[in-house]
Amino acid sequence: MNRALSGLYWLSLTLILLFITLPLLVVVAASLSPSSAVTFAPSEWTFKWYGALWANKWLNPFLLSLKIALVVSFLSGVLGALAAYAIAYEKCPGSAAIMAFLLSPLAVPQIVKGVAIVLFLSSAGFYMLLGTPGLIAAHIVLTLPFAARMIATSIYNFDRNLDRAAQILGASKWQRIRHILLPLVKPGVFSGMTFAFIISFNNIPLSVFLVRPGQTTLPITVINYMEYSLDPVLAAVNVASLIFILATIFLFEKLGGFSAQIHGGSK
Amino acid sequence: MSAVVTEMPAAAPKGRRSSLGGYVPLVPPLTVLLIFFAIPIGMMIGISFQDPKTAAWSLVSYEKFFTDNLMIAGLLRTLVMSGLVAICVTVMAYPVGYFLARSTSRWRAVVFALAIAPELAGVVLRTYGWLIILEDRGFINDALIWSGIVLSPLPLAKNLFGVVVGLTHVVLPFGILAIMTSIQGIDPNLEKAAQILGASRLSVLRHVVFPLSVPGIVSSLLISFTMAASAYATPALLGGARFKVLATMIYEQIMFYTNWPMAAVMALVLLVLMLAFSFAGTRAETRLHKKLNV
Amino acid sequence: MSDIDIELVSVCKTFGDFRAVNDVSLSVPKGEFVSLLGPSGCGKTTTLNMIAGFQEPTSGEIRIRGNCQTRTPPEKRNIGLVFQNYALFPHMTVAENVGFGLRMKGAPRAEIDQAVKAALKSVHLEGLDARYPKELSGGQQQRTALARAIAPKPSVLLLDEPLSNLDLKLREAMRVELKEIQEKLGMTFVYVTHDQEEAMAMSDRVVVMAGGVIAQQGRPEAIYNSPATSFVADFIGKSNILPVAVKQAAGDRREISIGGTPLTLRVEGDASTLATAKFCCIRPEDVRVVDNGAQPLPDDNVFDGTIAKIVNLGAHLDLWVSVDPGMTIKALVRSNRSGTLKTGQPITVSIGAKAIRLLDR
Repeated sequence: MNRALSGLYWLSLTLILLFITLPLLVVVAASLSPSSAVTFAPSEWTFKWYGALWANKWLNPFLLSLKIALVVSFLSGVLGALAAYAIAYEKCPGSAAIMAFLLSPLAVPQIVKGVAIVLFLSSAGFYMLLGTPGLIAAHIVLTLPFAARMIATSIYNFDRNLDRAAQILGASKWQRIRHILLPLVKPGVFSGMTFAFIISFNNIPLSVFLVRPGQTTLPITVINYMEYSLDPVLAAVNVASLIFILATIFLFEKLGGFSAQIHGGSK
Repeated sequence: MSAVVTEMPAAAPKGRRSSLGGYVPLVPPLTVLLIFFAIPIGMMIGISFQDPKTAAWSLVSYEKFFTDNLMIAGLLRTLVMSGLVAICVTVMAYPVGYFLARSTSRWRAVVFALAIAPELAGVVLRTYGWLIILEDRGFINDALIWSGIVLSPLPLAKNLFGVVVGLTHVVLPFGILAIMTSIQGIDPNLEKAAQILGASRLSVLRHVVFPLSVPGIVSSLLISFTMAASAYATPALLGGARFKVLATMIYEQIMFYTNWPMAAVMALVLLVLMLAFSFAGTRAETRLHKKLNV
Repeated sequence: MSDIDIELVSVCKTFGDFRAVNDVSLSVPKGEFVSLLGPSGCGKTTTLNMIAGFQEPTSGEIRIRGNCQTRTPPEKRNIGLVFQNYALFPHMTVAENVGFGLRMKGAPRAEIDQAVKAALKSVHLEGLDARYPKELSGGQQQRTALARAIAPKPSVLLLDEPLSNLDLKLREAMRVELKEIQEKLGMTFVYVTHDQEEAMAMSDRVVVMAGGVIAQQGRPEAIYNSPATSFVADFIGKSNILPVAVKQAAGDRREISIGGTPLTLRVEGDASTLATAKFCCIRPEDVRVVDNGAQPLPDDNVFDGTIAKIVNLGAHLDLWVSVDPGMTIKALVRSNRSGTLKTGQPITVSIGAKAIRLLDR
């Protein structure tokens, strides 16, 4: 009985993990398959689809997505840190209500936020903001709550006694922020910024309303292409952008050291 | 006891009686949210009450939404799809969440990475993956026809099945995290206590772990349902023109019909639906937490 | 220039309706080791926080080196503080932690290095300056925290239960060492603790706090030998505290009877003390077992009873001696009797009249 049960458990676990990894494996396999029709069990491998990525058709959307994601990540970090500082460090009166407002965009589906922003920009006379500026603003609305919450959490986890210790040792408020608070919440800021980068770089539901011809992000370019063809160049684009994201996370982690935070290094 | 509690707020370092100074850092982030979130949502609500042709105040778009069979069908499709996704995700998330919460083996890190990594890949990659697996000339049909099990391709994509598979894959990591967190919160000594009292592994699961993890199950169902109902890209690509849900219909209203009031009405219906489910779900969770004292 | 380092004048602190500290006045001369001792919630930590400047008194005044501190923020008070959890900066090395105070004050590099070296030497932590806090043992972290607090040479050092996170052996060793450091530096120490042994072992003066007020202050031995209230008698060391029912004075003979029992005790003390007595306190070590080797003195109170319970403490035994259905007395005896003492066995105990302290509350 017990043995059958545990066999069933391991079998289901394996099948679920297979389900999770299957599409990724298939996409990687497709990106290396020589024929333009994606088929079951290809017999040869090729990198030609990756070579095809080195064209403006793919490079321009990639650069636009990169530019937007960098700006969004930076601004989310700065704005999120400012908000988290006021709420979690200063604990100014009403901070719970302010936090609730900061997090309120999370309760609204992205597609609804997208409709609201595109209607606002179009009907309030901000046509010129459609395209890149609108994309940046919309992505920040999406990422700021996450960043603010992550940074606020790391400020809440910050041991107040460290601040008091610095204070009794003669450190002024600015000295404490610079030498104690900032270095210790830096991992939180960087994980918020990394999160913002990934969300922005991969975003579809907001971007789909705001892209303009010549100003189209990479994911939107890919889904537009997918409407007509599923050829393996798409697989190559997807694999390449996944690798790019992993590299970015690695880079951010090198700069911000947020894995130390996960492993309890800052406590 | 009360002394300790009441001392906390007053323990703040002094020298910052500059009462409004603390609010200054809030100005930039709140301004951004006000201009690009609060005002747009307000305007969207306003637009939903406009007549599409004359821009006069009217309820015509609401009327049309709730009487048009296509709209109601879209709404029902959204609900059915989201319900199925919520169930599939939670059923699949449970064994993985349990493993991640309780395993101490070195495979735990691997399973955790496998469970969470797809989230980094983005929706496009995964949807593309499922398309080339499920479509008429995709991997599965290719294999089935090649081995002679079926003669013509099975309809796996561009329908409810395809969308549910794709969305389950997209939402699964969140379900796993919800279940894992909930099981991690259960004292492992309870399981040991039940075992020492003579309960079999199955009884321990049924009478101890499962009842105590119900809040996690509720939160997994809730997060899956709301994520599925508001998803855009997966239904758009895996459902296509044949399987329309609210999210894809909203996009059509904006981009093809440029019927802003109708799009606003549909977006608000989706929003109210989400808020209602979140509210009910959160209340159920709080009640369960209270009842189980966890 | 006053010789009083810290002075509290009628200091009160209320949180809403709760009076955490109620009319506390205290003056600490330069170079003294003072302990604020009391159970949790007695107001000792609030008092410390007010001296440090993290909390403001609701009323009253705090003076440090003769200057009123009401408007002075903590960073300008020039005092040291050792935290219970040490509060070491995790992103700085031991040397950076210890040098932090001087760095913030803008001291030159060479001076900082020298002060860090001296501070680490005085806490016996030479050679660990490049380590990070998480690479240190609990005891080393504690020493680093101490070094960091004394490096800027404050005249006053506040210590908030600094030893409570160490294990027993290390804690006992650190008591001796802390006292030595304090004497060598000649610094004023204000030490907050709930551990009465710790307070007794190190302090020049113990301030017992309860319910936000000072219950008693004085030299450790004075507090132990002459507790002012039943609370102090109970909190400091072990004691038998018995309710006093009837008091009689006839010539030199003074007697009290114990509430709820027919027992009477011969006591000493003046008439007014006797008149106001509500409780009496007997230390367990003053309760002697009468046997062939130890006969009672003529004036001693002698009781026959049975041993209700024996708790072996190693070198000593705790005896619960039931002398009456309404009264059990605890006695502390040397362990070499352990072979002869058994639960349920009849026993005779004697208590000297001098050993009984009368308390009016």
